[in-house]
Amino acid sequence: MKKLLATALALTMALSMTACGGGNNQSSGDGGSEGGTTELSLILRAGTYADVIKECLPAFEEEHNVTCTVQELSESDLYSGIALDAINAEGSYDLCMVDGSWMAEFTENGVLANLSDLGYSLDDDIIPATTSICYVDDDVYLAPYYGNVTVLMFNKANVEAAGYSADTIQSLDDILKICQQAKADGKNGFIYRGDGQNNLVVDFLPILLSYGGWVVDDNNQPTVDTQEFKDAMNYYLELIATGQAQVKDDLIASVDSGSGTMGIGWPGWYTPTADSPADYIALNGAATAGGETHNANVYGIWAIGVPANSQNQELAVELLSYLMDADVQKSTVASGGVPCRYSSLQDPEVLETYPQYEVVCQALESGVYRPVIAEWTQFYTTLGTEMDNIINGMKTVDQGLADAQAQLEELMAG
Amino acid sequence: MRTNSTTKLRNADVQTKRFGLGMITPTVIVLLVMTAYPLVFTLFYSFTDYNLLRNLRQPAEFIALKNYTDLLTDPYFQQSIWNTVKFTILAVIFEMIIGFAMALFVNCLKRGQKTMRTLLLLPYLLPTVTVALSWRMMLSPNYGIVNQVLTALGLPVFNWFSDIHTAFGMLVLIDVWQSAPFVFLLLYAALQSVPQGQYEAARIDGAGRIKILFYVTIPNIKNSLALCALLRTIDSFRLFDKVNLLTGGGPANSTSTITQYLYNYGISSLDFGFGSAGAVVMTILVLILSSVYIKRAIQ
Repeated sequence: MKKLLATALALTMALSMTACGGGNNQSSGDGGSEGGTTELSLILRAGTYADVIKECLPAFEEEHNVTCTVQELSESDLYSGIALDAINAEGSYDLCMVDGSWMAEFTENGVLANLSDLGYSLDDDIIPATTSICYVDDDVYLAPYYGNVTVLMFNKANVEAAGYSADTIQSLDDILKICQQAKADGKNGFIYRGDGQNNLVVDFLPILLSYGGWVVDDNNQPTVDTQEFKDAMNYYLELIATGQAQVKDDLIASVDSGSGTMGIGWPGWYTPTADSPADYIALNGAATAGGETHNANVYGIWAIGVPANSQNQELAVELLSYLMDADVQKSTVASGGVPCRYSSLQDPEVLETYPQYEVVCQALESGVYRPVIAEWTQFYTTLGTEMDNIINGMKTVDQGLADAQAQLEELMAG
Repeated sequence: MRTNSTTKLRNADVQTKRFGLGMITPTVIVLLVMTAYPLVFTLFYSFTDYNLLRNLRQPAEFIALKNYTDLLTDPYFQQSIWNTVKFTILAVIFEMIIGFAMALFVNCLKRGQKTMRTLLLLPYLLPTVTVALSWRMMLSPNYGIVNQVLTALGLPVFNWFSDIHTAFGMLVLIDVWQSAPFVFLLLYAALQSVPQGQYEAARIDGAGRIKILFYVTIPNIKNSLALCALLRTIDSFRLFDKVNLLTGGGPANSTSTITQYLYNYGISSLDFGFGSAGAVVMTILVLILSSVYIKRAIQ
């Protein structure tokens, strides 16, 4: 009896294990086809960025007899989602959305397909500065899809109360005066995102650029313990003392309601109209009135690419070309799309309805990408941690920046 | 005759052993695959510079104890350990006290025990993400109800999750709010099994409520109390989701727990070798914390 039971148990186990191991036998040799329809899988940044792509998909699906499935993720999940899939010989995704700062790491490690080899090239209508990180040795790996670039978001009433308007904000000094006035009026001045090292660093970069500083030199060596960086940091401490740290949604709500006056934002966050209480401008990059101006708008452009291990690369490139088409891109403007194209951003009809695109176009023309280095994630984590310490009074500016410099030098030395 | 029966006995004994082995084999296999393999894998990678993406072009190299020395000499990791220990102690103490008080209260109700039990359990049933986002809305400096009430009462308001003086306390509060019902549930079940005769005998002997609590109730449920404390200690020590959603470890690392540190410095940058070393250190710390209970369970 016992033998019988043991045999039955062993048989059940063997069957279970066979069943477990047999779950993935559906070969991808058919290219994910199901009933003659090819499936394309897209991994995108959640929010407006993915929404505008999703609304373009039905026409492509119908024309090419394909089904597109979209996975929408937060920034960090998108990064790890693409990276985790990259180690598979046969990838799950056919088109991915990529932040410019991941470019170096992804291309160095062969995560992205060479789009030039697949017959794709960027056209002249795309704002040239936005394409600077899309190439490796003249080969295209990414196409700039969503023109996110930092802008100064402000509450119109609070700015007017300080005696300024959008046109008269000429320098960081003006911004400080407006925020100090708001603080004196019992409101919050400058709102910054204090949650997470990446947000801390990104919100600060336009200020740093306006002071003529940057986080790395031409050889990608850290330059955070410089006089420009210290001046920018000291200014930033004075500026944020007029307001407080908030998360993104609170920042937008604060500036919109007038409880806060200003903050660094992105066009995708807010769509200003003539009657809206808030608006945004591109920073002109001068620290003081009449001082030297710098390119001070930082790109957060969401580019699209094709993973190197995609099983449908040719079709994926067709989809990418379709999404990058000038007319298709212009059609997304009504839904919050921000193409990196002159034909969309300088179109008189578009500007009539969405005048803020003029500002966005200016900002995109003079934007700066975050350093294209494979170590960027560790870089901003280290820098953001030390900046957080300085902001919260745990370290002095000198001490915090010296510590950051030492750690970053060690990081970049490998 | 005797040899025959001895042989039969031996055969039966062997068969029993074989049957026993056959019965435990599936469990052992599952344990080996699901627990031992990942542990060995993690331990192995903790001695390498394994980075998920870099590994695509060059294999990980053996770097001996470098990950461990980097980790243990990093002041931010040390701060994370201290934050985690502080959080665990505070959360477990408050959760045990509040959960026990809730269990005693519901247990002494003559009516509505089921309703009260269900209501009190609700926070524990909510997903952590929901809990975190709900609290973030309630404590929002813009539209949060907490600050609105404080303003209406003329009390000072805070930027709860961004202020270095309040962020840590808020995390403890939210964790206690969500997890005290778990303690309540376990202790309430334990209280149900305390023999009523002991209470009656104590009352006849003239014992008051406090004495009954300390000499009858607590001794009867001490195993459940210990189990609760252990489970909550382990769970609190692994705190990640609330921290990651609400503060990201800030401001100024004041809420950075070990898991958040490992996420920031190991997982998010795909440095799994470094992350594995942190996971090993954390496992050792949890084992040390729970060693008293484990030792007792083995004995």
